[in-house]
Amino acid sequence: MSLLLAWAWLFTLPGLLLTVLGVGRRPGAASLAGPALIAAVALGWLLGPRTPADVVLANWLPFLPNGAFHLRVDALSALMLAVVGVVSLCVYIYALAYMEEEPPSGQRRFFAFLDIFVASMAILVLAGNLALLLVGWTGVGLASFLLISFWHERPGAIGAGLQALAANAVGDAALLLAIVLLPAGCGDLLTLQTPTCVAVPGGAGLVATLLVIAASAKSAQGPLYFWLPSAMAGPTPVSALIHAATMVAAGVYLLVRTHALLAAAPTVALATAVIGVLTALGGGLASLQQSNFKRGLAYSTVSQLGYMFAGIGLGAPFAAMFHLVTHAAFKALLFLSAGLVIHARHGHEELAALGGLRRALPGAHLAFLIGSLALIGVPGLSGAFSKDAILEAAERANLLLGLALAGAVFLTGLYIGRLFFGVFYGPRPDESRVTSHESRVTSSSSPDPGLATRESRLDEPALILWPLVPLAIGAVLLGYLEWPSGLLSGLLGDTAGHAEPVRFISPLGAAAALLGLAGFALSARQSREPARERPGLPEAVEQVHATAGAASGWVGGVAEAGLGLAGRLAAVHTGQLGRYVLVSVLGIAVILLIGLRP
Amino acid sequence: MTAETLVLATSAVLLALGASGVLMRRNPVSMLMSIELMLNAGNLVLVLAARARGAVDGQAAALIVLVLAAAEAVIGLGIALALFRTRENVDVDGPAEIHG
Repeated sequence: MSLLLAWAWLFTLPGLLLTVLGVGRRPGAASLAGPALIAAVALGWLLGPRTPADVVLANWLPFLPNGAFHLRVDALSALMLAVVGVVSLCVYIYALAYMEEEPPSGQRRFFAFLDIFVASMAILVLAGNLALLLVGWTGVGLASFLLISFWHERPGAIGAGLQALAANAVGDAALLLAIVLLPAGCGDLLTLQTPTCVAVPGGAGLVATLLVIAASAKSAQGPLYFWLPSAMAGPTPVSALIHAATMVAAGVYLLVRTHALLAAAPTVALATAVIGVLTALGGGLASLQQSNFKRGLAYSTVSQLGYMFAGIGLGAPFAAMFHLVTHAAFKALLFLSAGLVIHARHGHEELAALGGLRRALPGAHLAFLIGSLALIGVPGLSGAFSKDAILEAAERANLLLGLALAGAVFLTGLYIGRLFFGVFYGPRPDESRVTSHESRVTSSSSPDPGLATRESRLDEPALILWPLVPLAIGAVLLGYLEWPSGLLSGLLGDTAGHAEPVRFISPLGAAAALLGLAGFALSARQSREPARERPGLPEAVEQVHATAGAASGWVGGVAEAGLGLAGRLAAVHTGQLGRYVLVSVLGIAVILLIGLRP
Repeated sequence: MTAETLVLATSAVLLALGASGVLMRRNPVSMLMSIELMLNAGNLVLVLAARARGAVDGQAAALIVLVLAAAEAVIGLGIALALFRTRENVDVDGPAEIHG
């Protein structure tokens, strides 16, 4: 079983091949085998005797300090793979119906990209050393770019994908630096903190910093948050799978994996915690400003990932991993039910175009409500246990940060309530605002069937509705994996560090849950007022720039200077080939003269 | 004058000829031929050094350079052909007008 799990990333290849070749009547149906097998093998491993295994093919990349092809199977990777497998299986089934309006070639392309993503994600999770981790790391980044830009003919889709690529490049570069910086033989993810391996200029602090930068880029933390909201240009199943449940959690996974290194660098750990807390607060505030349904949820993901980072930074990697698992369930549920709304409303994502859909879409309404309550952390639901674990750890380690995190739950309630009540209750959308350019469907026989039948039920296809069920069950029940039995922490053992016993509700957690519910209730009142158009955070920053004038301040000055220098340097490129050759020959002559000087 | 000096001198002359050809010609085909001359000047020295050391690594390097030269000539001629098709003359300074 262990060996089977180690090579689980290969399971996606047959499906990928069949999908690309166009075998089968329904494009993409063949791809279902990959995630189903991965989920089955990972869950089977977790239920079985749980023998850890290492597959090492030495000297795979001999020019790296540790260039072995190293697959590691242990409780942490199996748990993460189970999450990836189950969520991707739900999303695959969902996407079969969601992408039905695409042409068959587009559907095949979509599922092929998804397969590439799942394979890369499995490599990332199973990697035992940094070299193989980087392979999966860049692979998921590439798949993310391809899927964000899936509707490449739409304005902004390519740009959004490039933003993700740019942010990921920062992370990849940091990871690569860490790989080549380590002394020979080092690079195993579990032994990075040993004295021989941190014997580099800068020590453990530098290596930990590089890993935290890499993780921040992948998990949209701190200043590298910007790509995740833009990533919502992709299809909604992609947003649920890659940009909510699994890929963006890879940064958290990496830091949990290497938590011993972070423990050896307390300053970096504290900085990570501060970044996490600030991102949790900032993401919540930014979500309140969004006029787009999915972007609002994206900032919620940014904020929740901030909680996980804070948990890791404050020395509670198990709490972060626990929150990762529950967050995967309830955030995927939120995104998929949001997709159900968007699908039923034919591609309309603007909050102004949505509203009063409670009776029209009862399934989506229920699923979104469960997801919201789990996100806020209503006691008894999964999110409460994991968030409580983080809050308790934060309270122990740093009371100020703990209080800030608990306060951020108020924002959580506020923003998710704003989305929930805005979409399902709220006033009816102003019909003049519902413009057709957002519409994804090409059938324009009736003006907009969604508007005409708002009072009656809208279409909720079974294939779209059923994948929500396991996720909803997970969002409610996943917390009982840990409470009261401590099953999950026993399972993970020391792969996720020392775990404090989780309580049903801690005082701080209770206060946070009350705050969250207060925010939720407050937004219910506010949603009765018509929604105002508010700019998103990047747009707001742009507006500030525009009003302040680009040349004012040192930022503008630097930009101007850079542009001026570039303009002057561009004059070197005359396009006269002869001149280039002359300069080259003269340059070589100078080098030779200097080099050959006796 | 020993054989080595003779070969080195030949190589130097070839290199100078090639360099001046690249500098002065405006026809891409002539420029490519001049580059081949320079590459072969380098090859001569490589082979000579290999012989002097009694090893074959220099000769292997010379073979690689030959292959590289062939590949480069193919690309260069392809560009020259594309240029000629679109502009009816093959002056290499002609396309300078497309620079940004």
